[in-house]
Amino acid sequence: MSLKDLRAALDSKQISAVELAQKYLDKIDTDDKKINSYITVCREGALNDAKAAQELIDSGNSGAFTGIPISVKDNICTLGVKTTCASKMLENFVPIYDATVIEKLKKDKFVMLGKTNMDEFAMGGSSQTSYFGGVKNPYDTDRVTGGSSGGAAASVAAGLCAAALGSDTGGSVRQPAAFCGVTGLKPTYGAVSRWGLIAFASSLDQIGIIANSAFDTGYVLNGIYGYDCNDATSSKKSEGGYTSLVGSDISKLKIGLPKEFFGDGIADDVKEAVLNAAEYYKSLGCQLVECSLPSLEYAVSAYYLISSAEAASNLSRFDGIKYGYRSGLGEDFNDLIKNSRREGFGDEVKRRIMLGNYALCSGYYDAYYKNATRIRTQIRQEYADIFEKCDVILTPTAPTTAYKIGQQENDPVKMYLADICTVTVNIAGLPAISTTCGYDKNNMPIGMSLIGKAFDEKTIIAVCDRFEHDFARKEADLK
Amino acid sequence: MFDIELTRHLAELSKIEFNDEELNKMTSDMTDIINLMDKVCEFDNSKKTYALDAVDYNNLRKDNHSDSYPTEKIIENAKNVKNNSFVVPKVV
Repeated sequence: MSLKDLRAALDSKQISAVELAQKYLDKIDTDDKKINSYITVCREGALNDAKAAQELIDSGNSGAFTGIPISVKDNICTLGVKTTCASKMLENFVPIYDATVIEKLKKDKFVMLGKTNMDEFAMGGSSQTSYFGGVKNPYDTDRVTGGSSGGAAASVAAGLCAAALGSDTGGSVRQPAAFCGVTGLKPTYGAVSRWGLIAFASSLDQIGIIANSAFDTGYVLNGIYGYDCNDATSSKKSEGGYTSLVGSDISKLKIGLPKEFFGDGIADDVKEAVLNAAEYYKSLGCQLVECSLPSLEYAVSAYYLISSAEAASNLSRFDGIKYGYRSGLGEDFNDLIKNSRREGFGDEVKRRIMLGNYALCSGYYDAYYKNATRIRTQIRQEYADIFEKCDVILTPTAPTTAYKIGQQENDPVKMYLADICTVTVNIAGLPAISTTCGYDKNNMPIGMSLIGKAFDEKTIIAVCDRFEHDFARKEADLK
Repeated sequence: MFDIELTRHLAELSKIEFNDEELNKMTSDMTDIINLMDKVCEFDNSKKTYALDAVDYNNLRKDNHSDSYPTEKIIENAKNVKNNSFVVPKVV
């Protein structure tokens, strides 16, 4: 059921908020053991939220999110509810404040079902690096969900929430949405406050939405966007009304197809499905424009250098003293910190911190970090050039569909290269939405991405909605 | 060339303890990763100025005074506290 229909069902008393919350909690109890999408399920909290929501509905003052059951990625701070970042380091961390996005939804009295599983500190593309065990794909539990918001995507695909909040630093909302056959929106950098999102790479991080449709992602974005004085990078340019163009005429739009996204390294069935989607838009009257993003070849390396440099700095706060895991080893101050970080962080997090310090340290800074930021400037310029002649850009979301668990997560270089289709959007700070555009021979979903101009989420949502309207999506069948 | 001495140096900067086996594994992983990162050194940077990020910092909030969190809340998540303070090993 769409969020709009859920709203109508709640307001017309076809179902009460408590019944709805209980329905989702029962389904989580039955099904989540098969996919491990939640780290924390807020059984009592969700029912309390639902009771408060029902009172608001009964008073005739419900808002867009009153009683709507939503899951929250476990790197978004929630007052009084454990926020672990899927790490031993924060296994018992209970925030003393709510992230701005949570505050906004709480004003409407939404129902928080729980906190979803993810790659540790959002560093990964498989959701297998979680301290709490990997997440399994609802379409095939032998396969990965993608990541890092794998729990969020799986919770939506398996019907264990109505919508999910995730975060996207290099594709972490869009790629798991693609792997799990749902819709994922990464808003423009600055459109949604990052206050309360545990920082990974501050110049790239953005809270995003995973839901059953493009319309639903816009519905949630309407509730969480906006300037926030607590986030110095939050913007005043967002205007809201993110679903306002849904159903409008898109036939005059020009859709760019950057050739580099359709070259070697992209699986044939992925390429074919995305190009079929392009043909669909052409059949509506849209003009397909061949374009180019020549610097794509540098994107993965530039992304990993910038994001890891920022991560090395952001994660230096985890010292075992103020909060987080504290080792019993180490006789002096320095040893205490080093042992706490050794025991508290997983291997991938350590690799990123090491890479970040490599990029920033004397002797390497100019060649690596500084060059990466130059590439960032170049990629932004190339996107600006494309948007001179196109309204939106269409690309695959990932080079492949979801692969088998254990197949490539232990090879960091292979994992990094798999981010090729998504990282440039974060580098340029643009909005993008991923939706399912086909299925491979194993019936695994194939994702396509629509990239928009900065702060033009409403166009990509409308273009994506139009495709979803005519595309027969297969539901995940959790046995 | 990435070697074990560089790994040791980075481990010190990163404030992470590694044993010998972990140091060897990290050196091997980092060698592969840096090979991939070397791609950025091929970029012709002669015409591009580097920019730290795309953020417009003209939107900074006013420097308003507001209450901070109470001490007991701040120390709630710490493992070792005494007299409203974090306990650490003796430094000097």
